[in-house]
Amino acid sequence: MLCKPIFSVDIHPDGTKFATGGQGEDSGKVMIWNMAPVLREEDEKNENIPKMLCQMDNHLACVNCVRWSNNGLYLASGGDDKLVMVWRRAAFIGPSTVFGSSSKLANVEQWRCVTILRNHTGDVMDVAWSPHDVWLASCSVDNTIVIWNARKFPEMVTTLRGHTGLVKGLTWDPVGKYIASQADDHSLKVWRTVDWQMEANITKPFSECGGTTHVLRLSWSPDGQYLVSAHAMNNSGPTAQIVERDGWKTNMDFVGHRKAVTVVKFNPKIFKKKQKNGSSPKPSCPYCCCAVGSKDRSLSVWLTSLKRPLVVIHDLFDKSIMDISWTLTGLGMLVCSMDGTVAYLDFSLDELGDPLNEEEKNSIHQNIYGKSLAITSTEAQLSTTIIENPEVLKYQQERQNSAQANSGPGGAAPESSAPKLNSVMNGESLEDIRKNLLKKQVETRTADGRRRITPLCIAQLDTGDFSPALFNSVPILPSGSSMSSQLTPQLSSDSIVYMALGFLIPAFTCLSHYLRSSVKSSLLLTSASKIEPMKALDSRFTERSKATPGVTAAISSTAGLTPLDRPKDGVTAQKEAKTKEETSSDSEDKMAAINKNLTFGKRKPELLLDGGEVVEKRKKGRPRKDKMAASMAQPFTQPSKVVAPPAPVAVLKLPTPSTQKAFSLQVSMEPSVFLEVENEVSMVAGSKLSQLRCSRDGRDWNTLLPSSVVVAAGSSDILAVACEDRMLSVFSSCGRRLLPAIQLGTPASALHCSAHYVMVLTAGATLSVWSVFSYMVRNTTECADFRSCLPSHDTPASSGPLAVMQGRNLNAGRLASRLSSTPHHMQQSMTLAFLENQLASALTLQSAQEYRYWLLIYARFLVNEGSEYRLRELCKELLGPVHKSAATSWEPTTLGLRKRELLREVLPVIGENLRFQRLFTEYQDQLELLRNK
Amino acid sequence: MAKVQVLNVAVLDNPSPFGNPFQFEITFECMEDLAEDLEWKIIYVGSAESEEYDQILDSVLVGPVPAGRHMFVFQADAPNTGLIPESDAVGVTVVLITCTYRSQEFIRIGYYVNNEYTDPELRENPPIKPDYTQLQRNILASNPRVTRFHINWEGCAERMEDSENVDPSSNSMLPPSCLPGKAPPLGVLPDNSMDCL
Repeated sequence: MLCKPIFSVDIHPDGTKFATGGQGEDSGKVMIWNMAPVLREEDEKNENIPKMLCQMDNHLACVNCVRWSNNGLYLASGGDDKLVMVWRRAAFIGPSTVFGSSSKLANVEQWRCVTILRNHTGDVMDVAWSPHDVWLASCSVDNTIVIWNARKFPEMVTTLRGHTGLVKGLTWDPVGKYIASQADDHSLKVWRTVDWQMEANITKPFSECGGTTHVLRLSWSPDGQYLVSAHAMNNSGPTAQIVERDGWKTNMDFVGHRKAVTVVKFNPKIFKKKQKNGSSPKPSCPYCCCAVGSKDRSLSVWLTSLKRPLVVIHDLFDKSIMDISWTLTGLGMLVCSMDGTVAYLDFSLDELGDPLNEEEKNSIHQNIYGKSLAITSTEAQLSTTIIENPEVLKYQQERQNSAQANSGPGGAAPESSAPKLNSVMNGESLEDIRKNLLKKQVETRTADGRRRITPLCIAQLDTGDFSPALFNSVPILPSGSSMSSQLTPQLSSDSIVYMALGFLIPAFTCLSHYLRSSVKSSLLLTSASKIEPMKALDSRFTERSKATPGVTAAISSTAGLTPLDRPKDGVTAQKEAKTKEETSSDSEDKMAAINKNLTFGKRKPELLLDGGEVVEKRKKGRPRKDKMAASMAQPFTQPSKVVAPPAPVAVLKLPTPSTQKAFSLQVSMEPSVFLEVENEVSMVAGSKLSQLRCSRDGRDWNTLLPSSVVVAAGSSDILAVACEDRMLSVFSSCGRRLLPAIQLGTPASALHCSAHYVMVLTAGATLSVWSVFSYMVRNTTECADFRSCLPSHDTPASSGPLAVMQGRNLNAGRLASRLSSTPHHMQQSMTLAFLENQLASALTLQSAQEYRYWLLIYARFLVNEGSEYRLRELCKELLGPVHKSAATSWEPTTLGLRKRELLREVLPVIGENLRFQRLFTEYQDQLELLRNK
Repeated sequence: MAKVQVLNVAVLDNPSPFGNPFQFEITFECMEDLAEDLEWKIIYVGSAESEEYDQILDSVLVGPVPAGRHMFVFQADAPNTGLIPESDAVGVTVVLITCTYRSQEFIRIGYYVNNEYTDPELRENPPIKPDYTQLQRNILASNPRVTRFHINWEGCAERMEDSENVDPSSNSMLPPSCLPGKAPPLGVLPDNSMDCL
């Protein structure tokens, strides 16, 4: 039996089914299979359990790649017909026979193509969903990689150009920062997702590569630390090259295959050594597991903790291995081959080790990148995480719905052209419609006298709200006369089943036990009725009419139909918006420039005054109504009696501490708070960044400052640091910036904190005390020069005084691209610091709208990054005391915004991450409680 | 890929006297708005021996066709008995429904049709000259044979031939029998020639 090649295999994230892609009879073929018969022999033998769930032969030519989205809702397929198709399961449930197919091959599940992505000018070789399913990437023999917006198909994000040969493999960095591609041009390229520029071009291991493989499926390790290429060469032997994330070094490789490596696939799990009973628990490093498939028809499985392969299986297939897919559990693997078969491999925990659970894996990510993949992982665990609060459920569902609504063109395209089902039905049942269809349908005559029927639209393309019964071939005539003919055995077309499905491998050792193909013997048409079809008649079914005599003349095109040109419209609209933005930002630039001059002009005399005067500035529970002008004027009117009389700047110069590279101090015993400062940890955009780390009762936080820290101090409530650039920064115990950076007149000489007071003695002999919670800020704030790496692709521009002031600086992107070279935890800290500074600045400038805007972004960032402490502190501050007490200094409003209203806006954001559902519930309940009061 | 998929064809008024019109209720789905009408035909095969006895019972244009699911009933008069060879009047023959877009046929649905006398006496001793008024037509509705053809949905028939001959890269790796875009050869049809989706 000659089988059609299978080019790709992918297991659904839920492990219940898998997809294959390859060559069909005269088209490409995508098939979806049930996993159960593969895993359990009894299911395989049970005839009631379907083996095949759905087959789609919509691709005109061979399908090279099939990939499930991480959320399991979509399947993407790419083929030689230059198309990428995205499939989604149709809403109506239950099996339905496909018209014209025999009952045995009926599709148990209905998967429909929701979007076709057209852009490539050559065969599509590989497709890959980004983490979080934000993007879909496809690569092609047209030498390009296209990034599609997976939330808004068929929108293209960008085309990555740079390869000079056929691009045959793609893999996303699990952290989402990079995408890597391998091509026939003897190179592996790594691209940044922040600006879609090339990060690295690795050529050395591939320079010797002769010949060619059909695919070059490379893979990124689940911890993100290693990238393993397909076909590479080392000393004229074929290898899989290991590329280290750190510096893209290429010092190691997997050696041993006799022919080119076609596919590498990392196990999604990270493992640790299995603890044997009785042996003392030894701390061991977590490791990854990687499968390598080759043209030499053999498969090897490697653990990164072992120097030699865990196992090598020779002659697994008759032809080259084409694709590998692991189950999400990490213990099973499907491998497909050009010979048209798929093999299932089953591993035991003893062989691979103990897989880390999602939490442990997240903490590894957190340690390396400072970022947890919390949202992804909660999604993956959605089925296992119990949603405890109906409100959370609501937000989760809303989120999913909006994600669904945004994806796929089905929602948008047909709305104007196809009336909704209910409007068609008008309360009539489908049966009624069908009975009267002939009478009701509109039939006209064209100019040349031909009949023209206007079909009745019964459903929009993407709705599942119609009766599946309608689509089963049941004639509506009640007469039972033709019932007998329904029993006629139907022609079998089973030989399209080119996949071997009859295998169950209980252990790793009996791998060779799989069936080549389970082609069922065709049932011949036996006559239940007296009909005995003749061969001559049979041929009429399939023979295409070359020129049917009669009315084949010209078909008049219809005027009543104008194809919608939505995408085009969208593009032009976007362009317009862009140009608008550009012009407005231009004018903002100018304004900002003017503004700067003004502020500089004002600041100078103020600083002079400041230097010569001793200032006391404390007022607990100061009424918020105070205008900025008032608070600025105040220090000058209240000279303190405590300290020395005014003196000229030049005269008094107190010693200032020298800048150290790093220092640490304990600021409080109970609770125990340690502070650690490390100066000049990294250079970004010309400014040296310093890191401030704080450990409080074992909880850590850190933040970045744009200048070296000279002195630091803290109390049990707050922390303060003064920097070389004379900036004073004040943080809450959880690391939230409480005040915008305060510019001191002269460098700080001494710094002290007590409860929520900060005292600074400057070199100019000025003593200032701030009460942090009264939000009195005197000096001009300098907006810190951090650049955000906000995950927002569509940040709506907020306008207000802050935006005007920062207009020039805030063209993110440009500098953000420079940040991409810094490790993720730095970016995270910078983003946090930036957001907090924005908040504090908006507060100082009394710009309510901007405050609200940055608060929501800040909350979203905290939710995404899984920063519970800060989130909790934020909620606490917004909620205030639940019970009224005279002693409280809590203000119910900020900048005229009611804090609890703000909390109400923040909560839905929190509800989106299931990790915080307890926090959500806690504050939701308290808000309810307060409302009822 | 095909923009139009036929989801179902229900055979109405079946079985029925030979002279009754044919009625097919056709449900199809369209992926994208179609710029031009679909043309549907019902072809009655008068004799298995030769195509020259084929009768196009009727042809209709169906449109406009926006994206979505649609249905219509295609009714066509019974075949002209004068054009059917007398020897082929009784027994098994075939009726075909075809659909073309821009003059390119992309689907062909065939049914076996059994014409026989209902009267047992006539069945035993059929008249030499067929009595069409006594004949009953029974379409084997449960067993449609569907064949799909790839066409160029964007352009016209001439350009389609080119687009069918693409696929240079994978051919080298495929067995010759896998050449895409080739309909199975006539006469030696394997059972799987029926396209199942």
